[in-house]
Amino acid sequence: MAEIDDHTFQEDDHRAAYVSNPLSDGTAAVPSAGAAPRPAKRRRVSAKKEVVNGRSEDQTSGPVDVGFLPLFNGQESPGAVKLRGELFETAWPVLEGRIQNVLREANRNTLDEVSTFLRAAEGEKGKIPAGFIITGPNIASQDLLFEQLAETLCKGSQTRFVRLRSAEAPNLKAALKKIIRDATVRVAGDDEEGDDVEVSVGQDGRKYLDYDLEALHVSLKLQQSGRVIVAFQDSEAFDNGLLTDLIALFHSWHDRIQFSLLFGIATSVELFQARLLKSIARHLFGAQFDVVQAGSVLDSVFKSAVAGSHALLRLGPSLLRSLVERQQDQVAGIQVFISSLKYAYMCHLYANPLSVLLADDAHINRELLQPEHIEAVRSLESFKTHVEASVEARQLSHAQSLLDDDDYLAEQILEQNQKRRDYLVQLLRSLHLIAATGLISTPFTDLYVTALSEGIDLTSEKASVLDPLRRLGPNEIVSLIHHLLNAIEIGSPELDLQGWGPDADELVASLAEIRDEVEALVERAKDSRKTLKSKYSAQSRVLRTTVVAQKVQLSRDTATLTDEDREFTEAIDRLADLFSRSVNCEPVTSRFLHEAWVYDSKSPYRDVFVPRPGTTLSRALSRPNDYLGCACCSKANGTVTATMPTTAVLYHLYLEAGALINVADLWSAYYALVSDESDIGMDERTALVHFYRGLGELRAMGFVKQSKKKADHIAKLKWI
Amino acid sequence: MTNALFQLPDELVLTTLAQAFPCRDSQIRALATLLHPSAAPCRNLVLYGTEATGKSAITTALLEKLETDDVDNEGPSLKFAIVSSVECITSRHLFESIVGKAAAALSWDRAPSKCETVSQLAVELSKMLKYTSRSESFRFVLVSDGIDRQREAPPTLLPALARLSEIIPCLTTVFIVTSPPANFLRTSFVPHIHFPNYTKAEFVTILATDPPVALPNTTAQETADLWARFAAAVHDALARAASRTLPSVKHACSALWPRFTAPILAGTHAPREFSKLLVAARVYFHDERLLDPGIVALAVPAPQPTSNGTNPTPAANGTAPLLPTTPTQTLKAAAAPTTDLASLLPTTARLLLLAAYLASHNATRHDLVLFSTHHHGRRRRRGGLSVGVGRGRGRSKHRKIARKLLGAHAFVLERMMAIFAAVRGEWDAKFLESGGGEATDAADVGMAIATLASLRLLVRVGGAQAGGDPMDRGGKWRVNAGWEVVRGLGRSMGVEVEDWLIE
Repeated sequence: MAEIDDHTFQEDDHRAAYVSNPLSDGTAAVPSAGAAPRPAKRRRVSAKKEVVNGRSEDQTSGPVDVGFLPLFNGQESPGAVKLRGELFETAWPVLEGRIQNVLREANRNTLDEVSTFLRAAEGEKGKIPAGFIITGPNIASQDLLFEQLAETLCKGSQTRFVRLRSAEAPNLKAALKKIIRDATVRVAGDDEEGDDVEVSVGQDGRKYLDYDLEALHVSLKLQQSGRVIVAFQDSEAFDNGLLTDLIALFHSWHDRIQFSLLFGIATSVELFQARLLKSIARHLFGAQFDVVQAGSVLDSVFKSAVAGSHALLRLGPSLLRSLVERQQDQVAGIQVFISSLKYAYMCHLYANPLSVLLADDAHINRELLQPEHIEAVRSLESFKTHVEASVEARQLSHAQSLLDDDDYLAEQILEQNQKRRDYLVQLLRSLHLIAATGLISTPFTDLYVTALSEGIDLTSEKASVLDPLRRLGPNEIVSLIHHLLNAIEIGSPELDLQGWGPDADELVASLAEIRDEVEALVERAKDSRKTLKSKYSAQSRVLRTTVVAQKVQLSRDTATLTDEDREFTEAIDRLADLFSRSVNCEPVTSRFLHEAWVYDSKSPYRDVFVPRPGTTLSRALSRPNDYLGCACCSKANGTVTATMPTTAVLYHLYLEAGALINVADLWSAYYALVSDESDIGMDERTALVHFYRGLGELRAMGFVKQSKKKADHIAKLKWI
Repeated sequence: MTNALFQLPDELVLTTLAQAFPCRDSQIRALATLLHPSAAPCRNLVLYGTEATGKSAITTALLEKLETDDVDNEGPSLKFAIVSSVECITSRHLFESIVGKAAAALSWDRAPSKCETVSQLAVELSKMLKYTSRSESFRFVLVSDGIDRQREAPPTLLPALARLSEIIPCLTTVFIVTSPPANFLRTSFVPHIHFPNYTKAEFVTILATDPPVALPNTTAQETADLWARFAAAVHDALARAASRTLPSVKHACSALWPRFTAPILAGTHAPREFSKLLVAARVYFHDERLLDPGIVALAVPAPQPTSNGTNPTPAANGTAPLLPTTPTQTLKAAAAPTTDLASLLPTTARLLLLAAYLASHNATRHDLVLFSTHHHGRRRRRGGLSVGVGRGRGRSKHRKIARKLLGAHAFVLERMMAIFAAVRGEWDAKFLESGGGEATDAADVGMAIATLASLRLLVRVGGAQAGGDPMDRGGKWRVNAGWEVVRGLGRSMGVEVEDWLIE
């Protein structure tokens, strides 16, 4: 089939630099890239038919074999390739569904508020109800919200919902057309884009102009439906005049058509109000609604998709940190985070042959592991550390077998699956317990990233949980233990962590014991009319002031501890000890074979999501030989030589020039470099052709432009 | 019934109307005389006056009365159509609305064809009115409401409409306008009826017709008396300066009433002690902010008036059904102003916006002084407005307006990027920590600029006709955020923007 041929990638497609060589008469400025025939133009041949057929084919053969190539230089077995493909195909949709759920859940509150408001505002006479929804500057995430709004508000009631985007409504007529069409088409039923005639002809045969709201009025009357909700998705981008006109028009029709407005506002209501005329603002009866802030949405998406036990792949700490920082510093919405996540999954499962080890035990067995897999494992950093550690620990035979015996190693590898799961459960349980104490204010994302990179060790200096814990009073200790027991019992639905009461009998028993003890102590202290305190609490040291002979004396006094207090201190010590013993975890990099299930590489992510075209261009132009790899320019270390491509030569000259460049001067400088006396000896006409071409390319890349200030000059555009 | 030559419409009609629209008696009578078929019907009639003086409402009510009133004598002798220009997007739309409304009023059954120009309008109307046999006394009244505000109106529109009645004798055209220029219809002798704004006494009379619900510990009569005196006081305090029209006076009254009567509710003053109440509520009468029609009526707590026009006790009625949502909203607003621009925009976008503000409000020649670190380790900065004006008043020969008070100037994108690059290291602590690795042309920066542009905080100057790529470094831009916003934004990052502005 010819189409299959079209889908395979050409050799040239993924090279770092593509060398174009239009001047075939070889002036040696550009090395010949080989006389490869021009690749066939990729055309979409009968795309529609393919889709129709593709459905059934996908089910049988699976979409797996589309993109996944055998690795190990093609030595990878088809079974392993297929498994990797299947892993991706099963893991990602599950995760994506969960993320969508989280996002939808996050908007629920806003939706309820908006619909309550609109329902309540129906009785408002002479004013248009207007909901101002503060969505934040991320336009991509507004779509979901407005989709949900449309679903919620249209449900059951006879309501028409029209979404307006600024791009679709450049002027009043276009906006009205869109409103009328959207509000009437949905009534007409499923025939998409029902023909305009039907819309615009009323019952008495009168034809309406397509921007005449009378048509809408008639159609609504026929349908006996009440209200029309118009949502301005990006209200900032609408023209002031257009908004004013529309609101005035809606107000004038308000006695016949019940309009309600919704505005998606990215900045603030005050700024929005400042744009409206006061006479127009008077027509609105508004309420302000906040969408859940991006930070908390990120937190819940993170919990369910990155940290949660459903996530197949673990993202490494450094990648995660850069992802989270990007969310805070840049205009990158949650959508970018999700696609970054997907990209990480793709990268890992597509390019890492060891990712087959992520499959569950039913799918992976000894046969699947080829000699290449074994060898790849032996070259891992974590393998080395593991072997070194076992040598240190005097398990020489174990180390020996790991190095020599393939079968032994394969067994070890297969065992790692369970170990990985145990590790993750321990990690999540520890994090959940720490969060349950409520003693630290670090957001969960930071906590998780730190735990991955440095592990959790409460006894170390850096951990800041135990100190506040020791300083707690008796009642707080009791409630803390209560929280902990609760956390163990219930687990965390956000993290997909089930309660682990049965697994932690000992911990639960000891916690309950300490709680009972503290409660008993409180009772005893109450009987003796004293407040219970420990030696850690701040009151243990008292500053005393005594006035003796008109002099103030300060003295530090160590408050004496009663027996109860001492017992309480002991209980706290035991609790801290218990807590630090049960909450611990080692850094992920210390795990054997973590390379198979942790993806922590920033570079393809940065290249894809944060490209830097300007820097790349200027670097390529200033050092072209790094990309071309030609011998002739290799000695030019950042300086200009005649053998460079013309554009690069001109770029060097351009960098030396001022704001306005005289083209004649540029030409003479260029010609002096490449003329007959130089190494390449170009004649004037060829040089002129090259010069013009190079200048044209510079202009196309946005470095220069025609200047109006001076004849025969070009203006420099890029300075940094 | 004899066909008297001149007969005014039924007195009953006029008195009921006069009761419905107080203080407009003379206008109603004049209008009735000039419209009624058996009185003195005229061809064209201009009603003018500022907004909210009852022009449209009285015309509509009167015409409805006249139409039904005539039914019992000798068949319908008056029909009317009212076309509001606000609802007509183009002049064609206006013409088709006129034809449509007229056909509906006359129960004309033939489907009208399209009507694009004034001449077609004349043809259509003639078909309906002139070439159909009607009784002799039949009049058709066509009311063009707000015709001076018609969009895309051709210059001949008004004169042409005025001429329609020359072609069609039984037609009366009524123009409702705000303030007509002299001879704007280009035809002689058009009667005008002026609807002047209300005087103080009239305002009080009108407001007194609609007293609020009786206060808890007073009688209805006491409340009504208090309301009338209160309305007069509000008029004296605010009407001349801030709210001249009836709706805005009503709005002011309804906004002030709950505050004014708070002492009565609290039991400290009796409703008769008007002057004491007035003294207690004196502050509010000074405060014109209360008259600002805020678009957010609910989320804001006490100081913002709930602005719902006619209802005198908005706080009670307007928000009552919304109680479940209101407390949460106010709580949220009180707890954390998350909707602040500073907390919404991420760091890079904020920095870019500040850089754009500096680029817009500083002259290019000062850039070297402000942003160069070449000669000094520290930058030489000069104080902004506060220093310059305070000291320089005596010295300066010619007074200059502070640059930031003038509008924002356009700047070249490259200049903003340069300022951004210069300023970033100093303002963004995190950027310095990371070693300043990121270039200014990374995709994230471009995305931030695009976002700011879509929020209209940055505006491309020259727009579409300037053409070209929005990321073109030579493109001209202008900042569209005000001083207050930018200062708040700067402070959110620990930057005092004033220090970076040179007059």
